[in-house]
Amino acid sequence: MAQTKINGYSDQFAAAEELPKAKSRAKEFIKKFLKRRTAVVAFVFIILMIIMAIIAPYIVPYDAGQADYSNLLSGPGKGHIWGTDEYGRDIFSRLMVGTRTSLFSALTATVIGTAGGVLLGLLAGFFGGILDSLIMRFCDVMFAFPDILLAIAVVAIIGPGMINVMIAVAVFTVPSFARITRSATLSVKQELYIEVARSLGCTNSRLLFVHVLPGTIPSMIVNFTMRIGTAILAASSLSFLGFGANVTEPDWGAMLSQGRNYLNTAPHIVLFPGILILLTVLAFNLLGDGLRDTLDPKMN
Amino acid sequence: MKKYQKILGVLLAGAMVFSMAACGNSSDNKDTSDETTKNSANAGSEAAGGADADGYIVKATNTDSKSADNDLVIAIEGSVSSMDPMNIPDTNAISATRGVYETLVKFDEKNELTGGLAESWEVSDDSLVYTFHLREGIKFHDGTDFNAAAVEANYERVMNPDNNLSQRRRFVVAKDDGSETMRIESVKATDEKTMVFTLTEQWSPFINRMTQFCIISPAALEKYGNDIMYNACGTGPYTIVEWEEGDHTAMKRNDDYWGEKPGVDTITIKEVPEAGSRTAMLQTGEADFIYPTPSDQINAIKGTDDINVMTADSNIMRYVTLNTGLKELSDIKVRQAMNYAIDQDAYVQLMYSGYAKKATSVVPSIISGYEEQKEYTYDVEKAKELMKEAGYEDGFKLTLWGDNTTQEIKGMTFIQQQLEQIGIEVEVVPMEPATVSEKIYVDKEDAEINMWYVNWSASDFTMDGSLRSLLYSTMAPPNSANTVYYNNPEFDELLDKGLKTADEAEQKSYYSKAQKMAWDDAVWLFLGNDQIIYSTKSYLSGVYVSPDGAFNFANAVLAQ
Amino acid sequence: MGRYCVKRLLSTIPLLLVISFLIFMFIHMIPGDPARLIAGQDATKADVKVVREQLGLNKPLLTQYGEYMKGLVTGDMGLSIRNGKTVEDTILPRLKPTILLTLSSAMWAIMIGIAIGVLAAVFHGKMADYLGMLIAIVGISVPGFWLGLQLIQMFSVSLGWLPTGGLDSWQSYVLPSLTMGSGVMAIMARFTRSSMLETMRADYVRTARAKGLIESLVVLRHGFKNSLIEIVTVAGLQIGGLLSGSVMAETVFSIPGLGRLLVDSINLRDYKVVQALLLFFALEYIVINLIVDLLYGVINPKVRYD
Repeated sequence: MAQTKINGYSDQFAAAEELPKAKSRAKEFIKKFLKRRTAVVAFVFIILMIIMAIIAPYIVPYDAGQADYSNLLSGPGKGHIWGTDEYGRDIFSRLMVGTRTSLFSALTATVIGTAGGVLLGLLAGFFGGILDSLIMRFCDVMFAFPDILLAIAVVAIIGPGMINVMIAVAVFTVPSFARITRSATLSVKQELYIEVARSLGCTNSRLLFVHVLPGTIPSMIVNFTMRIGTAILAASSLSFLGFGANVTEPDWGAMLSQGRNYLNTAPHIVLFPGILILLTVLAFNLLGDGLRDTLDPKMN
Repeated sequence: MKKYQKILGVLLAGAMVFSMAACGNSSDNKDTSDETTKNSANAGSEAAGGADADGYIVKATNTDSKSADNDLVIAIEGSVSSMDPMNIPDTNAISATRGVYETLVKFDEKNELTGGLAESWEVSDDSLVYTFHLREGIKFHDGTDFNAAAVEANYERVMNPDNNLSQRRRFVVAKDDGSETMRIESVKATDEKTMVFTLTEQWSPFINRMTQFCIISPAALEKYGNDIMYNACGTGPYTIVEWEEGDHTAMKRNDDYWGEKPGVDTITIKEVPEAGSRTAMLQTGEADFIYPTPSDQINAIKGTDDINVMTADSNIMRYVTLNTGLKELSDIKVRQAMNYAIDQDAYVQLMYSGYAKKATSVVPSIISGYEEQKEYTYDVEKAKELMKEAGYEDGFKLTLWGDNTTQEIKGMTFIQQQLEQIGIEVEVVPMEPATVSEKIYVDKEDAEINMWYVNWSASDFTMDGSLRSLLYSTMAPPNSANTVYYNNPEFDELLDKGLKTADEAEQKSYYSKAQKMAWDDAVWLFLGNDQIIYSTKSYLSGVYVSPDGAFNFANAVLAQ
Repeated sequence: MGRYCVKRLLSTIPLLLVISFLIFMFIHMIPGDPARLIAGQDATKADVKVVREQLGLNKPLLTQYGEYMKGLVTGDMGLSIRNGKTVEDTILPRLKPTILLTLSSAMWAIMIGIAIGVLAAVFHGKMADYLGMLIAIVGISVPGFWLGLQLIQMFSVSLGWLPTGGLDSWQSYVLPSLTMGSGVMAIMARFTRSSMLETMRADYVRTARAKGLIESLVVLRHGFKNSLIEIVTVAGLQIGGLLSGSVMAETVFSIPGLGRLLVDSINLRDYKVVQALLLFFALEYIVINLIVDLLYGVINPKVRYD
């Protein structure tokens, strides 16, 4: 009974203390972030891509699945600004429509993988002992397991399809995040404010998610944004090995891998997906760097 | 902002230069598309586009080019997975072993049966006894003599179950209860140079099977046992140097060869899985002979003056099986409608840039007994009409299974696009081959199969080999590959009659009826027959690829 | 330290046992029947049954595992179902190309990656930083097969400088190493940069600066040295990844390495080869971890082994 009271009190206490501060912090954060021009440009690019992902099917000049067997592999030019692919489909339309699948699956897979990894890392770092060893040994096993095998196994066991590919990609995101989070947790754990919170009678879960977790975020952001790029590419690699998510729906990675046979005869087929992937990965990374630098209190 | 733009500029320029430099010596895009359209016109008029009468797609202009050395390098897609001819899993391994080993009889360049280590052979009137007269004076690479006893020793080795050799299965019939019957009753050497094979019952493919039966030196077998794969020892024109599975197989000339002396000093068969890399190797001269050459690579080679690209008919049949156990597909009108909805010309164009043939029967034209059938001419209106008659005006949904290679996925996507026109919504499900077969070979009540994008090549070129496993009623899964679940007693009877008779004319009449039956029943979506495409440097002659995809280099000559 | 190594290695034996069991169950769980693949599409059910018995796949899984472990202890890893070769004979010839390629890729990638990372950190926010990170990001965002094919077109076909593949001479290592290393280089550069940025702001670096040490000395002696632990950790992981084979570079450059063997063996459900490869990768990972831990001691003598 007394316990809850104290907790309740400390909650109120914390809320009262933090609210106004949080507001000004957010404002300050935005102000700081806006100063990082490359990051802002990257951010705008990503927003544009997200908008494209939503509206593309309604605005593109051609139906992304519309084949035209009399116009195979034609180069960029009038009619088809980025040319047509091996079925005579419009590459520009396919890429734009494909934004949805590619971004969505990469983001989802990374978020799921990160969430899993962060959770494991927090638990391992915070509680230590047997739990720590168990989780870390599990990660060791995962690391020692080649990604490709894992992906093949996932796809072979539960069948092909976008969700399954996302699961496969998410699964091999887990161990590296668990590691990073664990070491970040270990260092955050020593900080003074954690001690204070603990002495105020915070429950473990509250300590973990309200106090420890935010402290580990800066070190996570860079890895997270880098992983999004890896996830987009992983889709392409899986497609190269025949384990792609989508064969009939447009998808950047699959376009790149299925078009590779035309690299020396119709290079535009892989050039445009390649550039788009490059720009997107670049944008996520620049955004990540910007966010990290903005969040880092030691930087001005 | 400026900084970012600069970066972006550098980046884009870099990517462009990179990619453009990469295609520096190939024709530009516009050219490529023109070419494709031209081929398309060709494909319309003569089924297979591009190739001239001699099978050339691209004929080198520089025909008197010279090779820098007398070493032949062959780049192939797959792996030479064994050098033990009796334990051969694939065509590449068969091809490679033919440098070192020979058979009693063989198929020649025109795909006709001819003598090898046997000078001649005869068959008894009841088609049960085969007598081979062996050539004399032939020695194995280890110096021991080739004779009838050697043939006998090889047969014994194959049939010994302890040796676990894959060829054994060709000579026995396994039964469901685990017992076996032998196809061959006895194998006897009546003297040094005469071999007599007596069959248990008539089995017309026997002589074709003998083209796979390589003779290994019994002395070497004695010495190495199953390690013979590392120490190949036969009678062929080349002797083994090394076999590095996954990388290369090397041989050198056998100067004591009994037949025409080999023309090149060494043979190296390299495994180069990626098509673009094979093409590059031919362009740089690192390889003299590449197989296969995917049709989408042909435009990259065009304009290189010392490269020949050639085609040959294949025994590959491409089709989609239709599970007649499904309510919708049990209706012959639906199956016919689906065939009318497939534009075979477009298929050949899209998949093979015109370098393939439309399917004109349930077997490729190269199979003995083939007869051309009445085409399902591409006609979407007619197809819709048939669908309406069958009561499926609004269409239905189906899944399409197939292997997960880029090329197979491309074919499946095409089928999906075509059937969409008549309201059939197809879900394309590519799977690993192992997974596909796991899902195919199940009991009938567990079968989930709708359609299967697949191909078949009968290695013995017989009608029976082409149709029995695929359409004979008792061959339905899990027993074998009749995924149509075709059950037509009349058809079965025709196949059985064909297998038993040795009379060619009689056989032909049975097979003619059987073909027509399966074709008119529209058991599959009939797609096409691949052409084999391979490329060589123009200074190389004497090599070819057989219809079954085996490459032959025994008579290779490099112009010096 | 020798004792420490032995102890570490011995303590991994239970881990390896667990891994071997997991691996065994895991790969048998993947659907697909090797007997059917070996027997062929046209084989009848009875044919397949014969093959299955030959391969010993008709026995219960646990019995198969027991037999496998018994064989393993006596040094018999079984036969590949592809062609009846022993598993050792199948794997050993593939080791050399993989190891050589790993070393040649890792060497340039780690060195250049670190160099880019350090420079980017030193010139933080300047052009060199952006350029360095751009190179890094291009390295991460280009798929291996695409890069490899482009390099072949450019350096082998158009320019004729380098061979298209194989591993016959030192020249043939250049393109595959570039392809395999580009991702590693990128990751190294990014990690080095962020780690350097962290340490460069630490108090002792400021102190060093305040003492009037010249900048390059500060960077090297204080910044870089203190980032090394993290850099070594990441490098170890990357080398581990390279060793388990880059199936894409191996495919494009026709290199008979472990990556392609793994994929081929999975496709054929060649269980014994897959098991052996996975155990090898696990062991390799453990050894690399050990080396990394030992390097910690070299970098920072305060680290004690016990």
